[in-house]
Amino acid sequence: MNSTHAPLELVIQRHYKAPPELVFRAWTDPAHLSEWWGPEGFETDTHHMDLRPGGEWLFTMRHPQAGVFPNRARYLEVDPPRRLAYLHDAGVDDDPSGFHASVDFEPTATGTQVTLRMVFSTPEARQRVVDHGAVEGGRQTLARLDAVLERLRAEA
Amino acid sequence: MLTPRTEPRVFEALGHPTRLQLLERLRREGPLSTSALAEDATMTRQGVRKHLGVLSEVGLVRDQRQGRERLWTLDPRPLADAAGWLEGFRVLWEARLDRLDAHLQRIQQGEPT
Repeated sequence: MNSTHAPLELVIQRHYKAPPELVFRAWTDPAHLSEWWGPEGFETDTHHMDLRPGGEWLFTMRHPQAGVFPNRARYLEVDPPRRLAYLHDAGVDDDPSGFHASVDFEPTATGTQVTLRMVFSTPEARQRVVDHGAVEGGRQTLARLDAVLERLRAEA
Repeated sequence: MLTPRTEPRVFEALGHPTRLQLLERLRREGPLSTSALAEDATMTRQGVRKHLGVLSEVGLVRDQRQGRERLWTLDPRPLADAAGWLEGFRVLWEARLDRLDAHLQRIQQGEPT
């Protein structure tokens, strides 16, 4: 890490009981992505996907109230089923709110360890974290609370 | 207290190598005078003073007069707020990864996707 920069970095790890080939496919196949990418209440429509370094995934996230959000991932590394790295932006060149993401898929005895790393280096990208974090993160928290309450009610 | 309008400026203040260098020195060495900070930095005393002004505006440093000098102290509180935003983004991604888990379980059980 370059010590003269202070990019915000978010690292999340998760273990899945599925082989790396399948987890990688879920991450790189539009039919799979539309099933889980979300967030809650959003539809993810893929317009174009060219899965190779230099290729792009163009997609729109749609919500009945929140509106339509164009997205683009420009692949930097495509190494199935081990690693994926891309630049995520709003679909325009030199988007200052773009951020860098990488996903590592490591086989384990029972499945796949996924390490997701996102780096936000510009003030605009950090602002994107603020906006998404506040709006979508907040909504997700509420959605999760609903799910927990539902389970508690079912158990009561 | 920081308002939503001032918070993004914390990030802007952080987005300069010299300012980060100044913050790192204050964190390592504790309160330092303007001239002590200028010794290490690759710029003039006046430049250092300008950067300290930017950091001071967003509340990352505070200054205190000591004789003819100004003594600068790091105040990390605005950074803690910034970490809070990241936490919101983490929640978004945790939920997305939960959905991936559910999706993988569904397709492995052979249910239609």
